[in-house]
Amino acid sequence: MRMLGLALKMLLDAPSKSLGTLAGVVVSVFLMSQQLSILLGILGLVSAFADGTDADLWVASAATENTELTGSLPATRVSEVASTPGVAWAAPVIQGMSRITRPDGVREPVMVVGVEPPRYAGLARTLVDGTRREELRGTARVFLSWTARPVFAFPPRGERLEIDGKTAFVAGYFDKLDPHSSYSYVFANLDDARAYTGFPQDRVTFVAAGVAPGEDAIAVRQRLQARLPDALAVTRDELSAMEVRHFLRRTPVGMVFGMGTMVAAFIGSVIVAITLYSSVIDRLRDYGTLKALGATRRDLFRLLLAQAWLFFAVGCTVGLLAFFFVKAHATQAPMLAPPWMLASVVAASFLSCTLASLAAVRRALAIDPAIVFRG
Amino acid sequence: MHTSSSQVVLEGRGVGRVFGTGALAVRALHPTDIQVRRGEVLVVMGPSGSGKTTLLSLLGLVLSPTEGEVVLDGQVVSEGNPDALALLRRDRVGFVFQQFNLMPGLSALDNVALPLLLRGTPARERTARAREALARVGLSDREAAKPRLLSGGQQQRVAIARALVTDAPVILCDEPTASLDGATGRVVLNTLKALATDLGRAVVVVTHDERVLSIADRLVEVVDGRVHEKASPVVREVHA
Repeated sequence: MRMLGLALKMLLDAPSKSLGTLAGVVVSVFLMSQQLSILLGILGLVSAFADGTDADLWVASAATENTELTGSLPATRVSEVASTPGVAWAAPVIQGMSRITRPDGVREPVMVVGVEPPRYAGLARTLVDGTRREELRGTARVFLSWTARPVFAFPPRGERLEIDGKTAFVAGYFDKLDPHSSYSYVFANLDDARAYTGFPQDRVTFVAAGVAPGEDAIAVRQRLQARLPDALAVTRDELSAMEVRHFLRRTPVGMVFGMGTMVAAFIGSVIVAITLYSSVIDRLRDYGTLKALGATRRDLFRLLLAQAWLFFAVGCTVGLLAFFFVKAHATQAPMLAPPWMLASVVAASFLSCTLASLAAVRRALAIDPAIVFRG
Repeated sequence: MHTSSSQVVLEGRGVGRVFGTGALAVRALHPTDIQVRRGEVLVVMGPSGSGKTTLLSLLGLVLSPTEGEVVLDGQVVSEGNPDALALLRRDRVGFVFQQFNLMPGLSALDNVALPLLLRGTPARERTARAREALARVGLSDREAAKPRLLSGGQQQRVAIARALVTDAPVILCDEPTASLDGATGRVVLNTLKALATDLGRAVVVVTHDERVLSIADRLVEVVDGRVHEKASPVVREVHA
């Protein structure tokens, strides 16, 4: 701590260089946060269907890669799942691609999800604008995504649309369930969904199930898997992780944003390293004087570390504030910033600043204190 | 070159220095015996490149001797590792440099307090002692000034205050008046003399400047790396 004041005064003595370094750390922290949060935001969208509905277990075709790339099951599987020990309830869910025709004639791709009353398993957990799930009981009633309203030209509730040429009325809205793809989810009751997508009557896409109170979801899933060896049984978390894995494996998104994060950390580290090192070069006589006056290697190490940590503390704070500002205002971008991500960014910044100081420390330690006697 | 051993605080015993090795070896200082006593001003004179600064660097533990040893308060100290030597410099030796070597970002007070900061002295005590040292060199009213706002003489007096703030028994000065005009140089010399007479410090001054002879208790001359003590009457003559 005793070196902190001296470190601060040395940095303030070279304000333009210090500001340049600070800007590097700020940009690095901002970019790391932004890249990671967009990646997490996209991954959140990828797993939105699994995360945003209230089923504990899902049974799907054994060929399932994710909730988009899946086959279908015989509808009889629903009763088999329901009768499995530990299962409290089971309900069919179907899904299929279709197109909505807006009142102005524009056609938009949609993923129609059919759910069954009274459980409505598979329906988005968050209903908004006063929407009640029972409103799906009526014929040709659909729920649209609240955030996707612009896509459908802001239809009011009761507005008539067409899905695959068939009439549909907007009965309500859901939120927090948006796919990462260019389509939007639309919820309907099971019969209407079959009509909108041409889905066979004797097949279902998923069987959603709830675990009985006191039962362990993993154990029940294992029972289901043993009973239905030709299907895939997964918990909600497993389905979510499956979606993310598939997405990261099949798209370059993870690599792009991951690289972006690493490059940002690297840039911050390099900037701090270069400026700290050059500040030692600029101040050879000052560091030589400190050595002549009795500064030990540990003193110099602490002094340069304190400078690096000051850059970290101020740069990280400003960088995160800038990130939160952008996150609050860039509402179109999918950005998620859970505490662990912010902690990771802070840790990465701390580590990069600390490592960056090592070259400067090495140079300072090599200074000959006899430099103070040279004119 | 022997004086009363009871007062000797710093001593070079056969101390010498060669730079480089083999065919490239250059002898900067032949093995030399030299003693510095408490309360005296020892002036080291000689032409440029004669080995004066090498002698000062060896006595100040900034440079390690290739021959002989440096003894401080009766203990051989020239064989320690870099950190041990740094701690000895911190606690036992004060330096005054030709170029002042003040930290540009620090105030006069902070510059003076720097050796205490390295020692880990608590902030309040550090400030009090630095103020006291600045008062001793007559710069109480300039404690908040950064070095760039001080004259050369004032900067050198700040450097002297920095050298005396730790109560180090030895103060080594490298050309302390070289960058100063006549009047300012005299103020600095009087300050250095007072360190020896009033505070009992051993002051070694390496210089080209004959004005320094006015404060000398003893004079040694370094020529071609060899140290010769000049007879004291010469000193007295110049002194007079």
